[in-house]
Amino acid sequence: MQQETALTKLRPQPSLPRRLWKQWQIQFMALCGIVFILIFNYLPMFGIVIAFKKADYSVNLMKSVVEAPWVGFSYFKEFINDYQFRDILFNTIGLNLLQLLINFPAPIIFAILISEIVHKRYKKFVQSITYFPHFISWIVFGGIVINMLSVESGVVVPILMKLGFIDEPVAILGEATAFWGLIIITSIIKGLGWGSIIYLAAITSIDPTLYEAATIDGAGRFRRIWHITLPSISGTIIVFFLLSVSNLLNSSFDHIWVFQNPLNLERSEVIDTFVYKMGITQMRYSYTTAVGLFKSLVALVLLVAGHLLSKRIAGRGIF
Amino acid sequence: MVTKRFDWFIVLNYTFLALFCVITIYPIYFVLIGSFNEGSDYMRGGVFLFPREFSLANYGVVLQDERLYVGLKVSILRTVIGTLTSILFTAMVSYAMSRKNLIWRSPYYWLHLITLFFGGGLIPYFLVLKNLALINSFWVYIIPSMFSVFNMIIFNSFFREIPEELHESATVDGANEFRIFLSMFIPLSVPVLATVGLWNAVYHWNSFFDAMIFTTKRDLMPLQLLLMKMIREADVISNSQYIPPQVQRKISVQTIRMAAIMVSTVPILCVYPFLQRYFVTGFMVGSLKG
Repeated sequence: MQQETALTKLRPQPSLPRRLWKQWQIQFMALCGIVFILIFNYLPMFGIVIAFKKADYSVNLMKSVVEAPWVGFSYFKEFINDYQFRDILFNTIGLNLLQLLINFPAPIIFAILISEIVHKRYKKFVQSITYFPHFISWIVFGGIVINMLSVESGVVVPILMKLGFIDEPVAILGEATAFWGLIIITSIIKGLGWGSIIYLAAITSIDPTLYEAATIDGAGRFRRIWHITLPSISGTIIVFFLLSVSNLLNSSFDHIWVFQNPLNLERSEVIDTFVYKMGITQMRYSYTTAVGLFKSLVALVLLVAGHLLSKRIAGRGIF
Repeated sequence: MVTKRFDWFIVLNYTFLALFCVITIYPIYFVLIGSFNEGSDYMRGGVFLFPREFSLANYGVVLQDERLYVGLKVSILRTVIGTLTSILFTAMVSYAMSRKNLIWRSPYYWLHLITLFFGGGLIPYFLVLKNLALINSFWVYIIPSMFSVFNMIIFNSFFREIPEELHESATVDGANEFRIFLSMFIPLSVPVLATVGLWNAVYHWNSFFDAMIFTTKRDLMPLQLLLMKMIREADVISNSQYIPPQVQRKISVQTIRMAAIMVSTVPILCVYPFLQRYFVTGFMVGSLKG
């Protein structure tokens, strides 16, 4: 090995164009990907400029970027002064933090529960059933839930009345106060099983002798979970935590859209739905680009705040 | 590990999981029985376990809606073409990125990674597609989702596990890079390709957002967008459809919706059992090691 490196050092390197020509095939393949992301990822980033330019209703992006007059932060001001601003910001942050708080740890617990099943067949059964809703769309699942919540023919209202939670029939979809709860519960029903799959895979790859040794040492089930299972899958947990944190404030549009209606708008309008309505249907391109950028800035502020907070409390940051 | 002693935890755990299974599967059952119930009778409420007034009228109406067949065609086409092109294209880029001798590999990699954390947002993206004349074209379903950085990274960690000697021996035998990629790396990575392909197919079959914002033409409306219109706008019957009066009594907005939901779910139910073995393999290779 050493001799070889010594020899290559002595031999003059061929020039860069020559080396590139020699590997033109893989360069071509790699450049296909680069061209793709330049068009579909970097060009839109470049297009953010129109947030500071007066380019509403103008479809030609290049022309907007180059020719439209600068307006500074006036679109940001317009959004902050919008009568819906407080509700939208509150819903976007609240719904996403709530999802992070509940829907992130839930699959981990669920995976542990499944891994504690002794009977193999039952385990398979539970997995097959709970993974299934992941494969149907939010539109379909939402449509199902809407039918179940119907006051006349649904099944949820009678159950809630029998259990004494409500005294008279209510249209749950028309109640703004119920919207967040609806989002959390439906995303648990639809996503819990599939969300647990990765943690379950991590748990099954844990060395079983660790558990045996712990049992001999007298550790009960909960101590085994606490001292073996959780530490063994902490790497996976951290990776997925980072992934969901990097998606902070990107609401699941489909999920919210299917349940949103004029009656619950107060608690269901989030930045993503607002951008769709204003941008795509009303063509206010500059304004909504500014709103989108505002969202990214808020997410960044939240991330930094969370990082500092966790450093203060737990002694280590998010990153 | 199985203890003979009566174990409360196991009993509680099994009961809880059984309950959760009921909660996940009952909604689908609820829609199934509703779709087979007569419309006006259904609206009286109380159809929870079995159809009360059995009727096929809802399916009759849904299956006569010509929008359904357009939707099915668009959905199937985009799922098949979209998944195949995305897997092939992403794997090809990934193959090049996994070659250690690739010049500028690290800057390329950084360019990819940055896109995972920063983006332009919906509106600039929309305008880019508009300027590329992709709006209102079938290709808007295929081209923008042809490449995924995330999947590229997953493939990459798989390709790197393939021994270098295989590549060398193929080169000695005179195969070029395209040949090696297609007839050696693709067959060797079928498990991970199948898993990622499955995610891709699910994405294509279920997505309606791109159809909603990027298309306005009726003949480009995929199944999910049609369902969205039926569910959110109660637009359940197409304008050109004639419904005889004796059928009209047997249907309702709700029951037709349920029939439409079932029609779109049945294809998934049919393939679901066969797909289960592909759920995990890709995860194991991709996410845990990468």
